[in-house]
Amino acid sequence: MNQPIAAQLLRREFPPALLDQLVALLGAQRVSTAAAVREHHGHDESHFPDALPDAVVFPETTEEVAAVVRACAAHRFPVIPYGTGTSLEGHILAIQGGVTIDLSRMDRVLAVHADDLDAVVQAGVTRKALNAHIKDTGLFFPIDPGADASIGGMSATRASGTAAVRYGTMKENVLALTVVLADGRIIRTGRRTKKSSAGYDLTRLFVGSEGTLGVITEITVRLYPQPEAISAAVCCFPNMVAAASTVIQAIQMGVPVARCDFLDPLCVKAINEHSKTGLQEKPTVFFEFHGSEAGVREQAETVQAIAAEHGAEAFQWATRPEERSKLWQARHDAYFACLQLQPGCRIISTDVCVPISRLAECLAATEEDIRRSGRLVPVLGHIGDGNFHLCIIVDPNNAHDIEIAEQMNHRLVERAIAMEGTCTGEHGIGCGKMAFMDAEHGDSLEVMRMVKRSLDPHNIMNPGKVVAV
Amino acid sequence: MTWAGLVDAVKSAGAHGRALRVRGGGSKDFYGQALEGDVLDTRAVRGIVAHEPTELVLTARGGTPLAEVEDVLARAGQMLPFEPPHFGPGATIGGAVAAGLAGPRRAATNGYTGAIRDFVLGVTLLDGRGEVLRFGGRVMKNVAGYDVSRLIAGSMGTLGVILEVSLKVLPRPPAACTLRLALPDPARAIEQLNAWGGMPLPLTASAYRDGDLALRLEGAESAVKAACRRIGGERVDDAAAAAFWTGMREQTDPFFSLPGALWRVAVPSTAVPLGLPGAQLVEWGGALRWLKGDADAALVRREALRAGGHATLFRGGDKAVGVFTALDPVKARIHARLKAAFDPARVFNRGRMYAEL
Repeated sequence: MNQPIAAQLLRREFPPALLDQLVALLGAQRVSTAAAVREHHGHDESHFPDALPDAVVFPETTEEVAAVVRACAAHRFPVIPYGTGTSLEGHILAIQGGVTIDLSRMDRVLAVHADDLDAVVQAGVTRKALNAHIKDTGLFFPIDPGADASIGGMSATRASGTAAVRYGTMKENVLALTVVLADGRIIRTGRRTKKSSAGYDLTRLFVGSEGTLGVITEITVRLYPQPEAISAAVCCFPNMVAAASTVIQAIQMGVPVARCDFLDPLCVKAINEHSKTGLQEKPTVFFEFHGSEAGVREQAETVQAIAAEHGAEAFQWATRPEERSKLWQARHDAYFACLQLQPGCRIISTDVCVPISRLAECLAATEEDIRRSGRLVPVLGHIGDGNFHLCIIVDPNNAHDIEIAEQMNHRLVERAIAMEGTCTGEHGIGCGKMAFMDAEHGDSLEVMRMVKRSLDPHNIMNPGKVVAV
Repeated sequence: MTWAGLVDAVKSAGAHGRALRVRGGGSKDFYGQALEGDVLDTRAVRGIVAHEPTELVLTARGGTPLAEVEDVLARAGQMLPFEPPHFGPGATIGGAVAAGLAGPRRAATNGYTGAIRDFVLGVTLLDGRGEVLRFGGRVMKNVAGYDVSRLIAGSMGTLGVILEVSLKVLPRPPAACTLRLALPDPARAIEQLNAWGGMPLPLTASAYRDGDLALRLEGAESAVKAACRRIGGERVDDAAAAAFWTGMREQTDPFFSLPGALWRVAVPSTAVPLGLPGAQLVEWGGALRWLKGDADAALVRREALRAGGHATLFRGGDKAVGVFTALDPVKARIHARLKAAFDPARVFNRGRMYAEL
């Protein structure tokens, strides 16, 4: 079974010689074994118990990362890359101990090639920092997961966001990478060309490998021209299925909807309370349209007509930039808003993605499951992609509560896989979803293991995540 | 040969250390380093497995003719967004994915864009051990484990036989228009292409040669009209435009019949015109430069590298110079290990990409 191996058994003593080497490489200022620093790096936004690294290092260049990895490799000691710590499946937990490489000091935008529509950034640059940096070029970077995550972390987890339906996810938008391999060697995958370098597409292999194949230190990302006109609308639907059908029909008709996100009434209630938005507490879709003035108007009219056929109410428009930002910020803060529905709780966030033709069926069965459970479970999602989340609210100190929530997630994953879907559309595997890998991949998992072994023969790169070897 | 027949043939080849050459219609036999081994014909494993138009996903067996796939999509008002070249009547969808080539639409700036790998949602692969493996699926987003299906795209059949592939497809744009402009100075033309590329224009193809620039705009009627007004130039009639872009995609345009070898040079789109002897054709908004002539291979590679790109000897010429740009030793080792993970006995397409794979 692909399950995190009882990690404490694998935990080894931190070799004092390794600590000395790290200090010699980076100086005492940038190597920390302080409890507070280790604690900060020992948890993410998942509900898993903390797992602290033995040390945290703060390199500033690819060469320093390489030197750290080389030192760890010599001791066969685990290495855990760390961006902003906003992962949702325990990706950055040091479950076997190890040295966490915090890339936040690698926060420089190295180049913006406005004409080529790309930018080269260090791994620690966050998505918002990149967008602030390129604001004056008339370009933007469209991938926006809930958190202000680092581009390195987003690449490592193949992140998506609210605009995936139009602009794709990290896998379509990373053009090239600089990666430190498990033995400390540095490679560049791809170039700034549209056609990636000769040979296998290593870029695609590292994107989404969750730090288990190497440490991503530099990323070339694709940028897009700012649309001439943007308009956003909020639309209430009689139910989730009507909302999903509207979105799917719009996409199928070729309307290039830029963003569309669904929120159920409970989720709307949560964000109203958290972000003071005053939205109607009904099944709701946030839409955003990008294009020329005429194009945006045309797109919006088409979608409005489709929505009306599905019994939706009239669109409420937000055309002023500040109204729009408020709306989408509220959407991005939905996770925190849901947390506040029950103070002191944590959230188990599910992440299935199903073929679009099965979405309505999957949503209906899931709604029924939630209803029967009698629990508070806000639902939201990127329904244009067939991907939605349940925010199952749990009391972290109540094992029974967590168990029931896990069972609900389990049923949902089984339902999704039976519909040819996946257990995770965007959050990733980390250690949280490893157990689902067998059901989803069967024999193919063995090839993934071989890929892992071929790039990381001693299993030091973020061990105990994605595939157990 | 049936699905089971392919499995048996691969197992037997693996057991006897024989090489197999995976082949669909053979339309791309010219492409790649070397053809080695007995032909493993994939064409009997054919047929469209699923196409639910509302889902924008098509699943087909690897040996399905590309023409059949395109026909089924066209009838639903849809298309393969990467406009793969056929290069012959027998082209199969599996071959198109394995070759990883895309046509003029590759560099579209309005969302109708991308390389073939960007549209591969899942593959069913027959590996070198004769195991049938599935990666990805029919879902739009999937981050469960390594993205193996995209690794297969463009791997030239060296990692396995594509038994089945699921692709994201897109609706055909409702309106299209091709414009022709005279831009005598090549450097200026590349600058102009990049300037347009940075604007929100529905550009879905471009081709520049000898002072003559052709642009294709596609999308909503109003967006295409507005863009045509903004760009100017002369509108080409629809039938002539379609024929022209087919000529680009299928390399039947007269440019490709000029004497000498055909080099495909991928560069950042802003790279200045390459200082190389021979005829040049610029596509993909400047990002792809075709070179036809007898330029020295070392010179072509040096110039490509200087421009920040790489050069492939696409057709003709002396393959001894290496069809694909050589890998550095670190990457070569990763390639060898990946090859070993999928095909340890080197059953498939030995030497097709690199001699050692």
